[in-house]
Amino acid sequence: MGSKRDKILDIIRDTNSLPTLPGVVSRLQALAENRKSSIEEMARLVSSDQILSARVLRLVNSPSYGFYRVSTISNALILLGVNVIKSLALSSSIFEIMEKTIVGLWEHSLGAGVAANIIARHLKLPEVEEISTAALLHDIGKVIIKEKCAEDYERICNMVERDGIPMLEAERQVLQTNHAEVGEWLVHNWYLPNKLSEPVACHHDVANAQHHKMKTAVVHLADVLVKASGFGFSGEVYVPRIQPTAWEWLGMAEDDLAAIVEELEDRLVEVKNFSLEIQSADGN
Amino acid sequence: MGTNLRIIVVTSPSGGDGSLELRLQSKGYQVVTLDNPPSVMGLIYSDPPDVVLIDLATPDQTLLGIIHSLKDDFFFSTIPVIGMIPEWAAEGFDWEEYPLDDFVTTPLSYRDLFTRIVLSLRRLRRVFDNNPLTRLPGNTSIQRAIEHAVGKPMGVCYVDINHFKQYNDVYGFAHGDEVIRMVARIIANAVKEAGEGFAGHIGGDDFVFIVPLEQAEAVSERIIANFTAVVSELFNEEEKARGFYVAHDRKGNEERVPLMGVAISIVPMDSPKIGHYAKVAEVAAELKKMAKKSHRSCYVMDRRK
Repeated sequence: MGSKRDKILDIIRDTNSLPTLPGVVSRLQALAENRKSSIEEMARLVSSDQILSARVLRLVNSPSYGFYRVSTISNALILLGVNVIKSLALSSSIFEIMEKTIVGLWEHSLGAGVAANIIARHLKLPEVEEISTAALLHDIGKVIIKEKCAEDYERICNMVERDGIPMLEAERQVLQTNHAEVGEWLVHNWYLPNKLSEPVACHHDVANAQHHKMKTAVVHLADVLVKASGFGFSGEVYVPRIQPTAWEWLGMAEDDLAAIVEELEDRLVEVKNFSLEIQSADGN
Repeated sequence: MGTNLRIIVVTSPSGGDGSLELRLQSKGYQVVTLDNPPSVMGLIYSDPPDVVLIDLATPDQTLLGIIHSLKDDFFFSTIPVIGMIPEWAAEGFDWEEYPLDDFVTTPLSYRDLFTRIVLSLRRLRRVFDNNPLTRLPGNTSIQRAIEHAVGKPMGVCYVDINHFKQYNDVYGFAHGDEVIRMVARIIANAVKEAGEGFAGHIGGDDFVFIVPLEQAEAVSERIIANFTAVVSELFNEEEKARGFYVAHDRKGNEERVPLMGVAISIVPMDSPKIGHYAKVAEVAAELKKMAKKSHRSCYVMDRRK
């Protein structure tokens, strides 16, 4: 027992990079080659990719810089500076290239980030950018499992489809852990602040959140709404229920949800176009 | 290069044949050879050289004492000490015991020696002057950069953090240090992204940057905007919403401290009243009073003729 868990923990300690879509990398490199690129342009691109975001946050929170809790991409870029990001982008060997099959998960993460942004603004919550980033990163554990334990990931997906069980259940059977916990290990290991790690850890178990209850509840709701919209593919076949604790903490009415869903549908059309653009850039 | 730089060569009483002195003088260095080691420190203290070359063919306690006296004194530790070591002894040399800055092997390769002298000077200027917390250049470099800018269309900009002391007192010095590092990074990045310029750390929460005058306001705005954004990482949601936090003064009274900001004073270097370095700091001090009237981040440029 527990050997699979330990193995994944070991994998995380050794993981310095995770694959991202080639289209994102080539875009970042194009920005880096352009002398006039601004921090805002780079922040926009970085915030669209869960792997790039995690990398940048890891770098800025690493002990050598001496900052303890940078939690937004824009602040990370301010503190690192355009030149650091450019040299990161130009040393392309640090990026592993993600296979096309993971586009669904990439889209799901991006969609959740967008949904969390809409929810947080609608409810006038503070720290909207932190919430969006946490939502962007919420399934990063799945990237680890898919990339580093590919056979297990395939088994999990088959179980979900064949047996009609939730992904969490399949993960527990195969790995004795789940993607939320794996994601939490990764963001901890990468020095990301609590504001981001707790929503990642508790997005399927909102009631467990201790310090960042609202952020966790928003990330949970964003995950469910994006699954319900049919945008992207998280690996899950069924749309889970919105947990009562999240509903209660957010203090939402049915009307709020209707307004949020309407705005989300509009935004997801734009996001789909962006995603197609990124994928077409892969060919180059 | 090398003119007016003084080198003290420490040799054993048997001494060299004088060719080292000749070669150094041919490069424009002033050379003083001291062959009575016990008297060396007195001479160095009374008239510090720029570089010390020390012959370690037969290292003894007196020579070791000279090196330690130099390196243990923060004022003299900036003088590069280069050891001359027989080639066969270099590999097994005890670097732990002899805190040298560099070495050359004997018999001497003069070309090597000249390069190492120049390199040692450059390196020590760089390393010793940098602030250990932020690694930005310190006061020696700042003074040199300002002197270089006097009379040119450049802006020398002084930055300090509003309400830093209270923050340090309430949240502890580790978090205070983090703020200092953040400001250093923000200034250095803004200057770099503007093209050419200089950023330095005077000490504490005081910084200086120098950019072309026509860019001084834009860079200042950038620093203020970026600091305002980054400050959001330092306070919790409640403090940010209220715009202040509560501190207690020495008598235990509650004090509402506004969130930190930066005050920037821009001194144009092409103004006729800026004749020399000392005047720059004087004008900046006046501007700082104006900038500090606001509790929020702001910059003030001296437009008085």
